[in-house]
Amino acid sequence: MSDLLKGNFKTKNEVVAPEVAEETLEDRFERTALKRLGGSIAFVSKKKVMWEFKPKS
Amino acid sequence: MSVVYEGPGELGMKFVAQMDRLTLEKIGEEGLANAARNQAVMHRGKSIAELRGGPVGEGDSAIVIAAGPSIPRRNPIEAIKASGYKGALVATDSAMYYMLRNGVIPDLVVTVDPQEGLVRWFGQPDLDHEEIAKDDYWRRQDMDFAFADELKTNREIMSLLETYGPQIKIALATCASKSLVDRVLDIGMQIYWWNPMFDDPDLPGSKTAALFEANGMPCINAGGNVGSSCYMIAHAVLEKKHVALTGIDFSYYPETPYFNTQYYRDLIDIIGEENLDSAYIRVFNPDLQKEFYTDPAYYWFRETFLELAADADCVTYNCTEGGILFGDHIRTQPLSQFLTDMKASGAR
Repeated sequence: MSDLLKGNFKTKNEVVAPEVAEETLEDRFERTALKRLGGSIAFVSKKKVMWEFKPKS
Repeated sequence: MSVVYEGPGELGMKFVAQMDRLTLEKIGEEGLANAARNQAVMHRGKSIAELRGGPVGEGDSAIVIAAGPSIPRRNPIEAIKASGYKGALVATDSAMYYMLRNGVIPDLVVTVDPQEGLVRWFGQPDLDHEEIAKDDYWRRQDMDFAFADELKTNREIMSLLETYGPQIKIALATCASKSLVDRVLDIGMQIYWWNPMFDDPDLPGSKTAALFEANGMPCINAGGNVGSSCYMIAHAVLEKKHVALTGIDFSYYPETPYFNTQYYRDLIDIIGEENLDSAYIRVFNPDLQKEFYTDPAYYWFRETFLELAADADCVTYNCTEGGILFGDHIRTQPLSQFLTDMKASGAR
């Protein structure tokens, strides 16, 4: 992005691009571990039964 | 997760808020893979659409029998047998053994969980000491105490199903594991396939819609767990207008040690024993004037059930006589009253 947009004025304050946080091993463990607490099957709000398939046009 | 400092139940409620996502991460991939594989054996059963409007049980009522901890305490099958109830008896896979050993063949058994290992509800032919040593889940659980004696119970289930299995209709979710499906086929149960919804079928890129297109089986909102699936099938497929619930506790009795709860090992691994009080949620049931406690998944089951009940085309009677399922669209009453009322109204 910075190669394309050079800017045409000088900002008052220095702009620092936020660092994209990489997933750490601890994060990955936490995500994998937490899913063990999930239920047996999904729940879908406001739905009952779909008897017939209606392809999207 | 490192040390957490939260008040009682606070961490549990944070997990509840994430439960939709956690559940899909837990079962989504495995469930869809199972459904793809099961397509090869779907010709061995029928579509659940054949049960629509229902040749299952007489009249317009049904009783759901799940395997909550109230079952050994309330023993609902005794009252059902004594009353001569002729309506539909819809049982979870986990409650099937309870019914069979009490001399009652369910009108319909429902199974939905895609995970391996649940074949045990149907008897596991190759179960041995080595297998049992790997996992204490079945010995610990607070649902059906008979499962504490694993090998003996396994032999009894296999024997009962060898005799009665071919008479039993089963609403078999297409996402069921290979071992479970193979076992159901070996037993010769009468299979009615259905797809549990994985997401909103009306959204672009829906996995549910793709599944329907692939196998043609009706898609049902399974409500997060097999007890709720039984309820959905009872009113939305069998079209029963009066549906009573037994064994739908979604909670534990206050005296039950954490050790005997469903997610104990998982919670210990994730948050540590010192934080368990913050993960378990205490709920006072005003209809029963009694407090129970629950874990995040079960609390989520309660919330999803209340939403299902609000939209249901039936009257919902909670005859569990325990647990945390109460609310605007739920009539809490003793099972004996439901049985008497159905008999009196001729709606049994």
